[in-house]
Amino acid sequence: MTADPIAAGAPVLHAQDVTMVFGGLVALNKVSLTLEQGQVAGLIGPNGAGKTTFFNCLTGLYTPTSGRVLLNGARLAGDPAKVTIAGVARTFQNIRLFPNMTVLENVLVGRHSRMKQDPVSTLLRLPAFHRGERAAKERARELLAFVGLTRAEDEVARNLPYGDQRRLEIARALATDPSVLLLDEPTAGMNPQETEATRQLILRIRETGVSVVVIEHDIKFIFGLCDKVSVLVQGELLVEGTPEVVRADPRVIEAYLGKPPEEIEADARTAAEEHDKGEQA
Amino acid sequence: MTTTTATVRSRPRITLAPTLAKPLAAAGGVLAVIAALLPWTTFVLFDNDEVNPSLQYFDAPFALSGYRLHTMLLGLAVLVVAFVPRIPGRARAQRALGFGIAAIGLISLIFLSYNGGGVGTVTAADGDAAFGAVVALVAGVLVVLSAIAAGITDIPDFPTRLPRLAAYGALVLAFAAILFLVAETLTAGGRSGVSNPYAGPTFLAFLGMAGGVLGALSGVGVVRWISALSERHRAFSIIILVLCALSLPLTSAGNAYWMTVATTIGVYAATAIGLNVVVGLAGLLDLGYVAFMGVGAFVAANLSGAATSKLGIELPFPVAALIAAILAGIVGAIVGSPTLRVRGDYLAIVTLAFGEIFTRSAQNDIGGLTGGSNAIPRIPDVELGGTAFNEEIQVGGLELPGGVLYYFMIVLVVGAVMAVFANLKNSRAGRAWIAIREDEDAARAMGIRTGKAKIMAFLVGATLAGLAGAIFAHKLTIASFDSFKFLESVTLLAAVILGGMGTIPGAVLGASLLFVLPEKLREFDDYRLLLFGLALILIMRFRPQGLVPDRVRRAELAGETATGKSIDEEEALVVEQEHDGPTGKKGGTA
Ligand SMILES: Nc1ncnc2c1ncn2[C@@H]1O[C@H](COP(=O)(O)OP(=O)(O)OP(=O)(O)O)[C@@H](O)[C@H]1O
Ligand SMILES: [Mg+2]
Repeated sequence: MTADPIAAGAPVLHAQDVTMVFGGLVALNKVSLTLEQGQVAGLIGPNGAGKTTFFNCLTGLYTPTSGRVLLNGARLAGDPAKVTIAGVARTFQNIRLFPNMTVLENVLVGRHSRMKQDPVSTLLRLPAFHRGERAAKERARELLAFVGLTRAEDEVARNLPYGDQRRLEIARALATDPSVLLLDEPTAGMNPQETEATRQLILRIRETGVSVVVIEHDIKFIFGLCDKVSVLVQGELLVEGTPEVVRADPRVIEAYLGKPPEEIEADARTAAEEHDKGEQA
Repeated sequence: MTTTTATVRSRPRITLAPTLAKPLAAAGGVLAVIAALLPWTTFVLFDNDEVNPSLQYFDAPFALSGYRLHTMLLGLAVLVVAFVPRIPGRARAQRALGFGIAAIGLISLIFLSYNGGGVGTVTAADGDAAFGAVVALVAGVLVVLSAIAAGITDIPDFPTRLPRLAAYGALVLAFAAILFLVAETLTAGGRSGVSNPYAGPTFLAFLGMAGGVLGALSGVGVVRWISALSERHRAFSIIILVLCALSLPLTSAGNAYWMTVATTIGVYAATAIGLNVVVGLAGLLDLGYVAFMGVGAFVAANLSGAATSKLGIELPFPVAALIAAILAGIVGAIVGSPTLRVRGDYLAIVTLAFGEIFTRSAQNDIGGLTGGSNAIPRIPDVELGGTAFNEEIQVGGLELPGGVLYYFMIVLVVGAVMAVFANLKNSRAGRAWIAIREDEDAARAMGIRTGKAKIMAFLVGATLAGLAGAIFAHKLTIASFDSFKFLESVTLLAAVILGGMGTIPGAVLGASLLFVLPEKLREFDDYRLLLFGLALILIMRFRPQGLVPDRVRRAELAGETATGKSIDEEEALVVEQEHDGPTGKKGGTA
């Protein structure tokens, strides 16, 4: 189910007042987000701001304490599988591939909800089975080519270099034919070349009609990529708007970093690097 | 990136002095030959009135048969491997041969001295000297040392692109050899019992020999080569394999007793493959699995006109077996439904409880369909065109032993079960199961209805077990709660893990070993389970990936394991700890 040709400007994804409380901790407080067809939206904020929690609420992994999420006007069920089937796919901040499956198999798992196989033709290996498998593999290979992993097809996923694992996760998510793709820190731990390649990849994904939400600590990356940016601080949506607006907003400067704009980027970069170091420890 | 964290577990390559390798091997080989020629006991144990002349190989010098012949052959093999130039994987082969020789020596030492009343039996007593076993043990150790001295290298790869005819020839030879080995292993030591006190140790010594030879073949790359060939010529291999299995009655194993043993192995093999769906593919730990086999057995017993059955229904076997399988599958789905809510250890407890409930209810005849402690006896034989399956049959000029038809039936059923497993594994459903095993939350995020998939796994596994149970009941002509206890579940699980999770040959091999061993080691009575447990521990210590590992498991146990944490725990961490997954530098894979 690729993106429906909806009237331009109609929101594909609409999160309304999503609130998530863990015990006494308000991780998200009435956070709203609208994503239009073909948009790339950025979500930034310091560590622990609730960005990943927001994704988890969107995808049904968490059931929000209150608020609702609409996809193309229809309410999303609070079940990750159903959300994916409805057309919202995601990647994980801490890569979560199927480590012992091959690269191709990982993407084929992504095709799961988009292919049919009845038990009889599976068990007896009837032509219908082979047709379905061939089509799924074809699509999976297309996606591997799209993210540039064609040659790693038969590698076991765990053996892939880090950057390739991130790209594989994107290919796997795309295999579910999403209309909205949620990327949680897709460039964490990447070098500048890989980061740039990822930026290009996201732009190409947008060209295929998929709307994207990206969480990133790399502010330069976000401002250079996104059509709009939301800033989340301590579970509150602080500012929302075009990169220019957000960059210039004094509240962002103050709340997010407490420094003037020129220093934000340099600072954010260090923060991201430290963050990565923490991950590697 | 993150290159430091992965715990790459490569075998420490200890190398002593390579120059020592050859002398050590030569000494070991020669000693093994000498050991074979020496007497092994100072007197014949269990000597009774009708002295069995074949027992001479225990105490007479130069009596080369039985395990002494095997010791000699292994010793000669060591010498050949040591002195033929450019054998790839030489050290691995030597190590296996050495372990084989040492195993024969050690098993004989223990058994003979224990039953002979002391070490005098295997050294010197009453003016007789018998150092065969000791020398064999020393020889084995020397050979193993020679392998360590040489340094263990990787298993070599051979080309698998052969002309079709050559490949077929190699496969036929290999499968014929396997058939021969299976027949010999099955009958090694003869039928165990009071009249044959040597059955157990002879069998174990034979296993030592067979293990040594197989290990050596695997060390020089033959096993890998054959399995790659059979992978390449899959259809042909399957046909030959089935033909070989069907010709077992023509070998030394061709009598009613061994047919029964082989049929039982087949039943457990089919069940183990079913369990492999649940445990190996979907990664759900099921500790009460044998109960599904029990459901199949009792259903079949009640539907086949067993005398004491309260139902009084007599359906033809195929119908009864089909209903048994379906009902077992339904029970499986019901038992599997808690998997929607519980994970990991909790699921194991739920299944354990179910297994216990099943056995207890069957024992107390709750529902009146299990016969309680009287069981359901006298289940009629399966018949086909007037021939009962336990009868001897004539095919052309060939006389086939009683029970051969059951054996044929189970061969076909195991074949079918294998096909089901393989076809499911490489399909949408199989990939979903494996994905759930690997990372359940990620699987859900890929649009997999994990609850449904897990129940399906339980359903498929239980159906196969139910079918096996139906055959089991008819073959034994009795269905008793006693056959479906916790120990059986554990043994089946052990068979799957021991053989290699997620692989077919693994499950079959594991089931064969685990259900033959107790049969063969009968005279060890009390020690039987101890030995059995010891063997399991040893295998798991030295080969944690199982005897026939899956590509996946091999990769997993050679490197780090995936973390099994749930997403909630992981993502709650403010400073995220990346999995140490991204490696790419393991063993320089490029
Ligand atoms: N399952 C949970 N139970 C309790 N608290 C949670 C849970 N998940 C998240 N939190 C808390 O919610 C807050 C937001 O966490 P979240 O992971 O969403 O932050 P983030 O913005 O993604 O941070 P980072 O940039 O470090 O990834 C944190 O204080 C975290 O401890
Ligand atoms: Mg996060």
